[in-house]
Amino acid sequence: MKKRGYSPCNIMINFFKKTFKNGWDSFWRQGFLTFATSLVIFIAVILGTALFFFQGGVSYLTKQLQDKIDISVTFKAEVARDTILGIKDNLLSLDQVKKVDYISSEDAYNAFVTAHEGDQYMEALSLLGTNPFLPALRIQTKQASQYKEVSEYLAKDEYKDLISEVNDYKRGVMIEKLTELTKSVQILGLSLTVFLSLIAVIITFNTLRLSIYSQKEEIEIMRLVGAKNSFIRGPFLVQGGLCGFFASVISFMLLTIVLFLFNAQLTTLFMGFDCLDFFKSNILLIILLELVVGVGLGLLSSYFAVRKYLRD
Amino acid sequence: MIEFKNVSKEYPPNLVKESKVALQNISFTVKPGEFVTLCGRSGAGKTTILKMISCEEKPSTGVIMFNDINTLDVKKSDAYLIRQKIGFIFQDYKLLAYKTVYENVAYALEAFDFNERLVRDEVMQVLELVGLENKVNCLPRELSGGEKQRVSIARALIHRPEIILADEPTGNLDPYHTREIVKILLKINESGSTVILSTHSRETVNSLEKRVITLENGRIIRDEEKGVFSL
Repeated sequence: MKKRGYSPCNIMINFFKKTFKNGWDSFWRQGFLTFATSLVIFIAVILGTALFFFQGGVSYLTKQLQDKIDISVTFKAEVARDTILGIKDNLLSLDQVKKVDYISSEDAYNAFVTAHEGDQYMEALSLLGTNPFLPALRIQTKQASQYKEVSEYLAKDEYKDLISEVNDYKRGVMIEKLTELTKSVQILGLSLTVFLSLIAVIITFNTLRLSIYSQKEEIEIMRLVGAKNSFIRGPFLVQGGLCGFFASVISFMLLTIVLFLFNAQLTTLFMGFDCLDFFKSNILLIILLELVVGVGLGLLSSYFAVRKYLRD
Repeated sequence: MIEFKNVSKEYPPNLVKESKVALQNISFTVKPGEFVTLCGRSGAGKTTILKMISCEEKPSTGVIMFNDINTLDVKKSDAYLIRQKIGFIFQDYKLLAYKTVYENVAYALEAFDFNERLVRDEVMQVLELVGLENKVNCLPRELSGGEKQRVSIARALIHRPEIILADEPTGNLDPYHTREIVKILLKINESGSTVILSTHSRETVNSLEKRVITLENGRIIRDEEKGVFSL
């Protein structure tokens, strides 16, 4: 027989062309199996995306909670504004400190007036005739666990005579509980991600295995006509990859539609976490994640499912 | 070309079956260009011999040489190199149901890195040889048993193998189509290919007047030039 008369490069291109064509044909030919496999991968992709949003939501809530926690340091009335601002600068130079706000006694008074306009507290305040509020610093740390270190820093001798009160001890229990809660939610989220991802992989693998089992005889014929393992495996990988690709595309479209239509309800449901905003700011990552999960699952499952028959 | 030296094959027991001896110490040689008929009842070991030639099965003991290559030394991943020298014809045709006649035959060539034009020329040539040039676009379900078997033969021939292994190719056919298939096999043999035909059909064996190896319970009981069916 005339031999190929083909350069290695052409052989390679020809191989990929044929592999893709055979995989594409199988993808369309096996309508029901393709649908079932794509559906399972779609669920896995949706699950993966939901877990990504879940992690985003957890981070958002954690941040929200942390932003609500602070240490309030009240200074004695005679301490000068410049001294307090000097302490503020010292605090800001600490690695643990994220933000320090100076609240003068006037600011505190005005804020009280705004909050309690016309109520009984205002009457009590007017009876005093003076501004009873002391200047203060409101400190936020980068992590909830760092409040203790900051309060220890403020307990130094040089600040003792200047500070009227540090209220971290009152909030200490709450801070610790929130820190624990944050950690627990993150661990739970991570465990859930790993567990559900594992289930998705197993289900996808088994669906594809059943699909490939139905083509067992075809694989046998391919082997008997002298096809290389790579030639046999190729179309199955393409088929699995295509199922994953379409599952990812459909999942992305569905996600986009749902977010645009129901973002207000979702934001309320997730305690202020703006899913659409999260989606927009992570869109490339989400596309990549969905493609990696979908196509990756399809390819890996096909590879392992067909391997069994090529080993026999 | 093919040499079996004291080959035995025993299938180990499993949950549902006891161990089974398929071949017992058999030896024979097939020279290039020979037409050999393996004759025997069901379970005599005919198919096992064909599977061993194509490296689908390994012998439990003994040696099988294929073109001076010991098949025991052939890795599973390299078995395709042996199979590319073989053309298979099966009793149940083993055609890909969703592919047309043309695609079924072309598939065997596609596995060999041939370009599309060459594939088209070769496929049309071989379909003419088996008389199916007018059925190129038919699916297997649209063909008769004899036509299906001719597609199977075309597929086996397309890469011009050194050897044709035909496992009961006429088992599902009526006498008319059986004669047709036998004629094609003889034509293939005349063109230089070695043919090993496994059958239990008395008429087929007797009409060929070629070498006959008769098997019984995994043993060769006769090996005759121009033999006849004698079971």
